[in-house]
Amino acid sequence: MSSGLFNIQNIHFRYDDESVFEDFSVEINQGEKIAIKGESGSGKTTLFRILLGFEHPEKGNILYQGESYSTDTIHKLRKEVAWLPQDLNLGSGNTSELVDFIFEFQHNIESKPSRSKLVETLNQLGLGEDTLDSKFSDLSTGQRQRVGLATCFLLNKKVLLLDEPTSALDEQSKQKVTDLILQDNITVISTSHDPWWVKRCDRIIELENYG
Amino acid sequence: MDIIDLSWWQLGIGFLILIIPAWILWRYKTGLNKKLGIATVRMTLQLLFVGYYLEYLFELDNAWLNAAWIMIMVLVADFATIDRSELNRKKSLLIPIFAATFFGIIVIDMFFLEAVIQLPKFLAAQYTIPITGMVLGNCLRSNVIGINAFYYSLNEHQERYRFYLCCGATRSEAVFPFFQDALKKSANPTLASMATIGLVSLPGMMTGQILSGSSPLIAIKYQIMIMLAIFSGTVLSVYLGIKLSNRFVFYDNDVLDSSILKD
Repeated sequence: MSSGLFNIQNIHFRYDDESVFEDFSVEINQGEKIAIKGESGSGKTTLFRILLGFEHPEKGNILYQGESYSTDTIHKLRKEVAWLPQDLNLGSGNTSELVDFIFEFQHNIESKPSRSKLVETLNQLGLGEDTLDSKFSDLSTGQRQRVGLATCFLLNKKVLLLDEPTSALDEQSKQKVTDLILQDNITVISTSHDPWWVKRCDRIIELENYG
Repeated sequence: MDIIDLSWWQLGIGFLILIIPAWILWRYKTGLNKKLGIATVRMTLQLLFVGYYLEYLFELDNAWLNAAWIMIMVLVADFATIDRSELNRKKSLLIPIFAATFFGIIVIDMFFLEAVIQLPKFLAAQYTIPITGMVLGNCLRSNVIGINAFYYSLNEHQERYRFYLCCGATRSEAVFPFFQDALKKSANPTLASMATIGLVSLPGMMTGQILSGSSPLIAIKYQIMIMLAIFSGTVLSVYLGIKLSNRFVFYDNDVLDSSILKD
């Protein structure tokens, strides 16, 4: 039995004829900050999908907190793990309404922040209160990403899966994001090509390209 | 004044008017003339068949036979909904959408035919068949809009749906915005026609009643009732169609079975 947070054991995965993972194994521990590197098509996005239970490897085993993946494990982990895509699209509504919608899920009602708490978190990420009154689709990619990060942070998620978290940010914003999320008690698994970000992670996982 | 019966000869003359649209479509090389020919032949044959069949149904006026006719209409509408929604004919869709449409029609028929009109005879053909047909035709149109919007939008914005799941949403919470959008898209055309009815157009049912000698006041009462029936029936069948099919088109890991969508 492994003590890791995620334990990927000898997985094989392919899309049609294209092999993405062949006998791939990795263990990720609680609190680690990991940067996953690899060329396009090397399986970075697929690895996230597999970790979140959206794709099943054809062979091999995955454990979350020592439990083998099952429907129950997947549902449990999605309540504990947040995932932020590179270009978050929450629709065309008002940002404040779209964020509120997430806190109306039964599981999140108790963690619903006050507007001032939400503004405070956005400020920590270099965003003003006016962001909340803007249409989400009018925000830049970097702003949308930070709104997503603020949401994940306020959901009190202790495991973050981040897809290129600094790709659309300037130096100052990167520092703010780092200060907020690279905390000891948060596990961060990220894909990144940004040396600035990679340098701040504890471990780098290089993915091979089997395609 | 009694209705003026049309002889087959007179109806044949009516077809001559198609020369004008056919020429326009040909002149602008729309490629629609073959489609126009097929559609005209199909419409004529289908209505001839229905006309003779309804004569027979009205003569017998048997509740069981009328119910069977409704079942057949719902079944045809079920296949048509799936085909026109650009979805594949899979059991996971055919059965829920049939159940949704059938249940929607039963609720509307029971309410309007038995509670509002209070038919002297249960499922009397003269009322049951035309009213059910009108509601069902509109349910079909709304289901196509709503079900297509729901599944294609969900497939297109999978990342958003998955983001919600990873924010702790249940499947039904995560599909909520897509459901909301599908309901809006499917209800809007009926709402728009309710808002302009009588001003921009005279609806078919009312026109038919007036032509057959009913007073305009009776005709509008029926028309108001049918609009209420259509709106309620369409919203109910889209709601049930999405809700029921949702139970069968997702894998255990909440991923949409994309084989229901046409490539």
